[in-house]
Amino acid sequence: MRNRVITVALLGGMACLLVFSLSFARMDHREFKKSKPAECLECHKASGVMPNHGPFFLKDHRLLAKRANNNCYDCHEQSYCIDCHKGGGVEPDVKKSTSRTGEYMPTTHRSDFISVHSVKAMDNPQNCYRCHQASFCQDCHSKANRGMMRIKSHQRTGNTQIFQWNADHAAEARRSLQTCEACHPEADVCIQCHSSGKVNPHPRNWRDIKDKYRSESGGRTCKKCHITY
Amino acid sequence: MGVKVWRWVFTLFLMLPVFLANAWGAELKVTSSTHYLWYQDILTSDNERDIAEYLRINVTKLDKEGKVNIYAYGRASKQISSSEDYQGRLYYFYLDYRDALNGFLDLRAGRTYVNAAAISGLIDGAYVDLKKVGPVGVTLFGGRDVRFQEKKEISVRGDAITGGSVYLDTLLNTHLEVSYARKYNDTNTARENVGFDFTTTPLSRVNLYGYVKYDLIAEATNELLLGMKFNPFQSLIVRGEYYESYPTFDTDSIYSIFAVNQYKEKSIKAEYVLNERCQLSAGYAREEFNDGATADLYEVGFTVKPIQDLQLDVSYEARNGYAGQLKGIRGRAAYRLLNKATIMAGADYDDFRREDSRNGYAKKYWGGLDWEITKNISTVVRVEDNMTYNYDHSYQGLFALNLKF
Repeated sequence: MRNRVITVALLGGMACLLVFSLSFARMDHREFKKSKPAECLECHKASGVMPNHGPFFLKDHRLLAKRANNNCYDCHEQSYCIDCHKGGGVEPDVKKSTSRTGEYMPTTHRSDFISVHSVKAMDNPQNCYRCHQASFCQDCHSKANRGMMRIKSHQRTGNTQIFQWNADHAAEARRSLQTCEACHPEADVCIQCHSSGKVNPHPRNWRDIKDKYRSESGGRTCKKCHITY
Repeated sequence: MGVKVWRWVFTLFLMLPVFLANAWGAELKVTSSTHYLWYQDILTSDNERDIAEYLRINVTKLDKEGKVNIYAYGRASKQISSSEDYQGRLYYFYLDYRDALNGFLDLRAGRTYVNAAAISGLIDGAYVDLKKVGPVGVTLFGGRDVRFQEKKEISVRGDAITGGSVYLDTLLNTHLEVSYARKYNDTNTARENVGFDFTTTPLSRVNLYGYVKYDLIAEATNELLLGMKFNPFQSLIVRGEYYESYPTFDTDSIYSIFAVNQYKEKSIKAEYVLNERCQLSAGYAREEFNDGATADLYEVGFTVKPIQDLQLDVSYEARNGYAGQLKGIRGRAAYRLLNKATIMAGADYDDFRREDSRNGYAKKYWGGLDWEITKNISTVVRVEDNMTYNYDHSYQGLFALNLKF
């Protein structure tokens, strides 16, 4: 119901604006392809188009690029996006480093990114998934020595394979569930305590949404914990 | 995809544009970049060497007006330090028909990148933009979802993306867009999203923007961004942003059933152009992870050109709070030599404290050369020394030869 209300509200708002719409066509910028960003100001000075391609454009550009009928393709080929987002390299940039598998890395990845990534990944956890599949994390974490990670919520007891699941683990998991997925892709270790009849892991609105998950996954997810569902 | 299939795809990739260029008298532009890389795989400690060939082919002006074009881009790579087989990625290969039907329609068909507020990805299918349906435009897209991992393609039959959007950009300096998308994993619906995106400049020096991505299956706002840019005078831009996200997962992931917390971020940033030779930037963000966990992020940077052909970029970042601390400085110098070559060098220094885990510092020193030998031939060389938590020195480098014809 909630989603219908939002969709209708958004479409309604758009319809209202249409009533007041003026005839305005987006300008083709292909002829300015070779201009320097500073030269853009000659036309755009106080014209209602904010200067862009500045120091924060690495983060900002996705807002412009997501829009239909955007200007990006007037100057950039699709390979310009692909070279960062999908590991391309047809226009090698001397400023950019390569990953441990020889893939081109954007400059957001700082030195010793293997050590730093767990901190950086928390600065908006969604950012990693703009370029990487969840399985990208598993590729390393399945090979790495997990005992070395010393994760706050489940420290190993001495040299044993017994982990102390302290009170922090629930808070950590809720804040960054994707990081759990990196080492436990099938959540087998979670299910030991969170399966049917044990500690309930579901979100508050689970009653409202569970039927969708059941039907869309064909019950495969439910079967991991529930005999009947 | 099997090796035999790849051979067919690459043969088609190489031959079809050449054939079309000859048959239609179209313009053919080929960009080739051959890379030799050496690096250390820090998980195995092995020193690896790869060769990779990147090839981009543009066949343009297939019609008189130059509206019909074909674009193709792919890579073949081989790790020569091991017995690993050849790997391939076809990034895109599509027919582009711009401004068809008197500017009414843009069409891309084949393997192409699609990007909307509701979803983004690489598809084997089509993207259609009907630009003038009354005052609005309508986009429709759909096709097989192409996913890459470890230098190869991992999609299976039944992985797909479909969607579309309705947008309004006939209002001066305003763009409004509502998009809808579905992602399928092996024919099952994995995601169903609605996106809303807007930007408007009601006053010449004030810009409001934002977007929402709503997950219809989880009934949760996956991402929300609201921002305002203020341009009090030409050389200064100040912005404030509010962002929140709530992680959602594909329906076939066991993680979709777990409760999660919302992440919130409030930030303010400023960019200042002092003069043609000096630009400054600064930013602060407050991150909130729920249950009282927070972090503060500060960043400052400047770009200066002390002399005509020399540019220096320096940035400093400090983060303190949940998940760890990080203080990092990065510097880079680029000198343009005789308008033919750029010599660059840089250094990174990061001091990090991961929460209850490893502490240490990391350094990176690198140098490189980008040399335009002739109009159509250029080369890039980069060497890098990394001093990391695991290694005193880890060297890596790249040599690339670029040809355009």
